[in-house]
Amino acid sequence: MMTFQKRDVMKALTSIAIQKVLNDISAPAYEKVSKKLQKEYKCYIPDCYDHPEYLESVLKSIFGNAYTAIVEQIRVELAEHIDDNGINLLIKTMAR
Amino acid sequence: MLSISKKDELQKLLLITIVCSGFTILVSTMLGKEVVKQVTDVMYIITTAAFVILSSILVLRFKKTGDHGKAWLFLLGTSVSWFLAETTWTAYELIYDKNPFPSIADVFYIAGYPLMLGFLMYYLKPVRRAITKKMILAAIMISATIAIPSIYMAYSPEPDVTVFENVLATAYPILDSIIFIPAIIGIALFFRGEVNFTWSLICTGILCFAIGDIGFQYATFTNTYYTGHPADIVLMWSYILFSFGVYDHVRIFRKSGQSTENSQLDNWC
Repeated sequence: MMTFQKRDVMKALTSIAIQKVLNDISAPAYEKVSKKLQKEYKCYIPDCYDHPEYLESVLKSIFGNAYTAIVEQIRVELAEHIDDNGINLLIKTMAR
Repeated sequence: MLSISKKDELQKLLLITIVCSGFTILVSTMLGKEVVKQVTDVMYIITTAAFVILSSILVLRFKKTGDHGKAWLFLLGTSVSWFLAETTWTAYELIYDKNPFPSIADVFYIAGYPLMLGFLMYYLKPVRRAITKKMILAAIMISATIAIPSIYMAYSPEPDVTVFENVLATAYPILDSIIFIPAIIGIALFFRGEVNFTWSLICTGILCFAIGDIGFQYATFTNTYYTGHPADIVLMWSYILFSFGVYDHVRIFRKSGQSTENSQLDNWC
């Protein structure tokens, strides 16, 4: 039987939440953010769980001041799991 | 660095296009009213056709996905509506030799406004949480200043201007000021972001539309309007600005060579 560590599950949940929020904007917006993360930080969406500052910087560079609304939407999506340290840190880092 | 140089190139091209279009109309004016009428009408069709083509490219790229996908569909509707308006105007003027104002062309011009409003609203929808009351209030105040001169003019037209012509000519700057509200909010929201250049161009385009429409209203009320009037130069600029704004978005969100979508979640652990 396959077992998952809580951290991996939270990482996956974070990825799904980010993907959902960006896809709600548009599929090209999701692609653009993914591409920029790879190009500038050599990381993927799931890595934002460990490096939320990368996602924050990419969102800021594309959407300017409006990035706060996207971060807020991600926070709403992850509200149920806010007790997880990683997710809590992600939200706090991006919402600075 | 590459994207900055491309943006610089785009800005240069935009400036050249704006200067050339204005210069072409001015030179044509010197050659007589018949020449300027034909040149301006053809230029209007070319610029709105470019606007339709670029909007179609964005619609195909976004494929109705998310709120922005819907927004670009609305913008395509706007561009098609204004292309039809310009084509109808030209047909009235150059083929049937009739005065195109007021005419069926106005139906297409007016129809473009709710579609443009739809575009602006859908584009701002995902980031609506960042909109503050202060922003809305400031945008309304700025927009209201655009509508004031046209409302003032509506009360003092020439006696031979009919009530219908008066209402129609006044409606354009008022509609411009309405669509200017979300455009200003967009500028504030996307400030310092990549998409801000698109918004700046769309916002400036709407402002040019408002200035051109006020000029058209004034010229209509004083019976001095002709196709190729200086107001037309400003109106032409707005179509150019919209087209460049859309092109900039095509450039920002162009499809990458390889699909990243599937590889993303495969790399989560």
